[in-house]
Amino acid sequence: MRIGKGVTRRGRVLLLGMILALAAARLPADEVVGTLDAVGSDTLAGLMLRWGERLAERHPGVRLQLQASGSASAPAALTAGTTLLGPMSRPMSAAEREAFVARHGYPPVELEIARDALAVIVHRHNPLETLSRRELDAIFSESRRCGAERPIERWSQLGVTLPGDRIVLHGRNVASGTHDLFRLRALCGGSYRVRLNEHPGSAAVVAAVAAEPSAIGFAGLNHLTAGVKALRRRDAGGEAAAPTPAAVRDGSYSLSRSLYLYVHLPPGGTLPAPERAFLELVFSPAGQAVVEAQGFVTLAPARLAEQRAWLAALPTAE
Amino acid sequence: MRPFLTRRRGEGPWPWLAAGSVALSLSMLAGLLLLLAVGGLGHFWPAEVSEVTPREGAPFAGIPVREERVVGSERRERLYFTGNLDLDGERWRWIPLDAIAALEAPPELVVLERRRWGDFLGHLVALEDGGRRHAGAAAWPALEERLATLETLRDERDHLRDAVVAPLVRRLEQGGDPAAAAELARANARIRELQTAMQGATLVLESVDGRRLEQPLAEVLRAWRPNAMSPPQKLAAWGRGVWRFLSEGPRAANSAGGVWPAIFGTVMMVLLMSVVVTPFGVLAGIYLNEVARQGPFTRLVRIGVRNLAGVPSIVYGVFGLGVFVHGIGGSLDAWFFADSLPSPTFGTGGLLWASLTLALLTLPVVIVATEEGLARVPEHQREGALALGATRMEMLTRVVLPMTVPAMLTGLILAVARAAGEVAPLMLVGVAKLAPQVPVDGEFPFLHLERKFMHLGYHIYDTAFHGDDVQAAMPLVYATALLLVLVILVLNLTAIFLRHHLRARHGVASRA
Amino acid sequence: MTDPRQLRRRRLRDRLATLLITAGGVGVVVSVLAIGVFLAWEVVPLFLGEGALAPAELWQPQPVEGYAEPQHRWRPEPLVAGDAVHYGMAPLAWGTLKAALWALLFAVPLALGAAIHSALYMPRRLRARLKPTLELMEALPGVVIGFVAGLVLAPWVERHLAGALALVVTLPLGAVAAGGLRALLPAFLRARLSPGWAGLWLAPWLLLVGSLTLWLAPALEAGLPGGDLRGWLEATWGLDVASRNALIVGLAMGFAVIPGIYALAEDALSGVPASLGEGALALGATRWQTLWRVVLPAAGPGIFSAVMIGAGRAVGETMIVLMASGNTALMSLSPLEGLRSLSATIAIELPEAAVGATHYRLLFLAALLLFAFTFLVNTLAEVVRTRLRRRYRRLEGSA
Repeated sequence: MRIGKGVTRRGRVLLLGMILALAAARLPADEVVGTLDAVGSDTLAGLMLRWGERLAERHPGVRLQLQASGSASAPAALTAGTTLLGPMSRPMSAAEREAFVARHGYPPVELEIARDALAVIVHRHNPLETLSRRELDAIFSESRRCGAERPIERWSQLGVTLPGDRIVLHGRNVASGTHDLFRLRALCGGSYRVRLNEHPGSAAVVAAVAAEPSAIGFAGLNHLTAGVKALRRRDAGGEAAAPTPAAVRDGSYSLSRSLYLYVHLPPGGTLPAPERAFLELVFSPAGQAVVEAQGFVTLAPARLAEQRAWLAALPTAE
Repeated sequence: MRPFLTRRRGEGPWPWLAAGSVALSLSMLAGLLLLLAVGGLGHFWPAEVSEVTPREGAPFAGIPVREERVVGSERRERLYFTGNLDLDGERWRWIPLDAIAALEAPPELVVLERRRWGDFLGHLVALEDGGRRHAGAAAWPALEERLATLETLRDERDHLRDAVVAPLVRRLEQGGDPAAAAELARANARIRELQTAMQGATLVLESVDGRRLEQPLAEVLRAWRPNAMSPPQKLAAWGRGVWRFLSEGPRAANSAGGVWPAIFGTVMMVLLMSVVVTPFGVLAGIYLNEVARQGPFTRLVRIGVRNLAGVPSIVYGVFGLGVFVHGIGGSLDAWFFADSLPSPTFGTGGLLWASLTLALLTLPVVIVATEEGLARVPEHQREGALALGATRMEMLTRVVLPMTVPAMLTGLILAVARAAGEVAPLMLVGVAKLAPQVPVDGEFPFLHLERKFMHLGYHIYDTAFHGDDVQAAMPLVYATALLLVLVILVLNLTAIFLRHHLRARHGVASRA
Repeated sequence: MTDPRQLRRRRLRDRLATLLITAGGVGVVVSVLAIGVFLAWEVVPLFLGEGALAPAELWQPQPVEGYAEPQHRWRPEPLVAGDAVHYGMAPLAWGTLKAALWALLFAVPLALGAAIHSALYMPRRLRARLKPTLELMEALPGVVIGFVAGLVLAPWVERHLAGALALVVTLPLGAVAAGGLRALLPAFLRARLSPGWAGLWLAPWLLLVGSLTLWLAPALEAGLPGGDLRGWLEATWGLDVASRNALIVGLAMGFAVIPGIYALAEDALSGVPASLGEGALALGATRWQTLWRVVLPAAGPGIFSAVMIGAGRAVGETMIVLMASGNTALMSLSPLEGLRSLSATIAIELPEAAVGATHYRLLFLAALLLFAFTFLVNTLAEVVRTRLRRRYRRLEGSA
């Protein structure tokens, strides 16, 4: 008998029981089986793994193999054809897209899977509530490209009284997506002050700001704790945008970004069953609940419906 | 010249400063160990849950964590872990001490550990199970019983998935095997059946301020009522917590669960490293001490080797990245794994390269220890063996090396202790934040040298700096740090003991 | 009788094995020594051929947007194509040396004090226990020390800055005061508290002094003009206080290098031929005078090499600096400001740098600098130590 091969004794007993119970079972048409490969961002690693777990609950025969070595690894693997799914925490650059098109003759499909935002944080006892973009730039950058006239180095310049008074800056290190996004959106592409404490992780930024009353920093929304307070952004009209899920979802909070999943799919082609099941899960309510539980922000309903419709319209493989 | 029996006239403050520095060094060491022990072990103790009634606003349930002074005033405030992320959108709460109107510890408060949304703290109202409803006092026993059933179901499902389904899927992928398909369908049907059995029951929960929550029971991992537990029960729960920490994988982006894969990865890497470093280190030691002609050149080489022990570990990491990963790994990929390029197989960090890098890093330790051992062997032992007609090799293998084994072992243990604690080079050559696949499994060739692996030291760094919620992760970081320190202390104590033992034995031998 | 054929076979086996050992040994030695050569090989393309970097770009201030004066900047990656990149490595090298300096300032007095105390005053049995204990201290992994320094100690110092600075003064005073108080004690108590065991019984006393200092520190701080230490430091001394500063790094890394310095210094001190000290003592010198005038000069080179080896360790330590320093590439010597070291920069940036690019090679250059520095320092220490050993042997021979 082949069944017990390579299986422990306990497994064999179990299998025997199952055969007695389900003697006539066959592989049903909707049974999805296979290994699913994904190569890409480490920001998205937790999210992808949780989706993989949920998928394995729905389809016990499916396994997700994730290689999370950074967003830059996704286009390379997609172009090479070693994977069909490439999670990325930034959109693909023109050069990466061109390389893919040059190899395959068509672009990869870009799917938005979640939204994420950076919050500007201060110590929980800091009375400051809002900051304008110009102030933010004057605090964090030495280039002041957003148009501030003078650098802001003291809390008293913002009308806040704190012990120590000098503003202490905390942020992320070079070579992190957070560092680049903040530089692009908050500093108008300028450069950071040298005094910025460059921590190697967002959790470290939050811990540092939570411990220091005169500190200000920036970190991913999913890292915030009760020790820090997220500031709202004040625009020219004096309206303040808080990093609430709604503002992040529609982009009215400008320090937000989309998280992507790139799919290698020829025009008119079909997706293998495991990949398809994975995408179905991602855009299902259960999949979006995972997004929320991981601390990211779910997609806008319209965007979600649009991508669901796209998925439903794909011809099924047979 | 020591010790002195008579007390001399005043020597001024200096001797006391010298003594103070010993005291200070020892206090710092003890303080660090104490900090790790308290922070790490305290986490598993089922802490009492308080029901806090603030002067203003609704009451809440929470576990006190620590107190701090409010900035710019003399008031103090306390941090509570309140859980209930799904209800509040927040798991922590700071409250000034003077804003607390009342503190209670009602015995019926439950803590639920859930797979999503983290812990729940509050009241258990009812357990609804397929039409039956256990409410009031009956709810808790029913919950305990159902959780035990769930655990066995979960174990069976996990076992089926890992031991039955996974191999079948691999067989299916390698070639259409009709028998495998049928088996798989049966296994899957059983898993679905188990999953259906797990579903169904729902808990009706209520937070302290009266908000209701329907919680599917399948998402609940454990439940306890800390305020109603007796100290022995708490001790038992503490023991189970420690065991789970050691035996389970991490959950929730490393901020919960255990460190088993990291322990496994560390041990695998260190084992591989020992396999590489021992023969080479011993060979080099024998060469330098027994074979090479002693002269300025060997002295120079010896100084070089000794100094390499002082070269920063990160430099070895850079070397490993340049030579092993990009150099040798890149070539291996080009020759043998060309079909999967540009996705690297060996051309990226992995277990093999990490082990080799650390082997290089610890080589001087083994060489130096071997040399010291060889130098301790009395010259007349060698002369005796040679005089009896042994060749040099026979003299070495039969007489000298057996006497040096403890020294080599000491060197190896010290090397292992050093390697287990090194993190910086690993960041460059193959450690991973989360490796869902351990480097050893039932799949050919069983030991996957190219895979990334988890490591206790890196786990500390990653959880403390990259985790989602640093406040929640701190106790786990403490516990992991304590574990790592304990492992290294035990290794070092073994080495110290061996060396001591060795000295004692050779003391006798050389006097004889 | 041995069979000549068997003898020949044994000889052959012997020669083969010797060959194997020689090959293995030479191979290991060569490959280990090849590290430096390899690093240099990777760095050379930076300075040769097209697009070569001028050394001035690395070590001298360059024009930077937003400043009239040229500045040192480390900005190796452009955000978008065409962005200015700056390869100023001077702040990183500076930070490395600064971290090592503050670590040594903390570690050397403690380690030497401990070495002197244990070589001169401690009973032999206690010394035999102390040495392995301090060895255990050295074995503590950097990542654990870094975690404690960065996430526990730094926030604590941030909240208790005045107390922490006061400890630097009160702890040594406390130790001296203990000596003075002991002289006032009745004889039977004094006998219990022998100087030989002072390393142990001083610990609770110092703990008491420390707690007292921390308890009183807020009151002391309130007595300053302005009632705020930070404001006072800034107004009076122009010092800027960062929470992740060189003091924290120095403390944490000092903790890590104390045992290494202690072990070598203790070896050097107890290796001084007893005849030297006995002569001085016989002439009526106190133990401390003997130490200061006779033993220390004799052991000086050994102590120097101990400090050198400590410096080598401090310069290369990665995880402690990475986790405790804040990684700010500043060029200041202030203990209350942050720093960024070469090793931490390598650890953070190398995994993300494009292979073969300028950034990648610059990080290799950083590794080469670390390698060269530690190798030189260690060689120096080793040479000095060898000389010293020879001198002791001579002294002992002549005595």
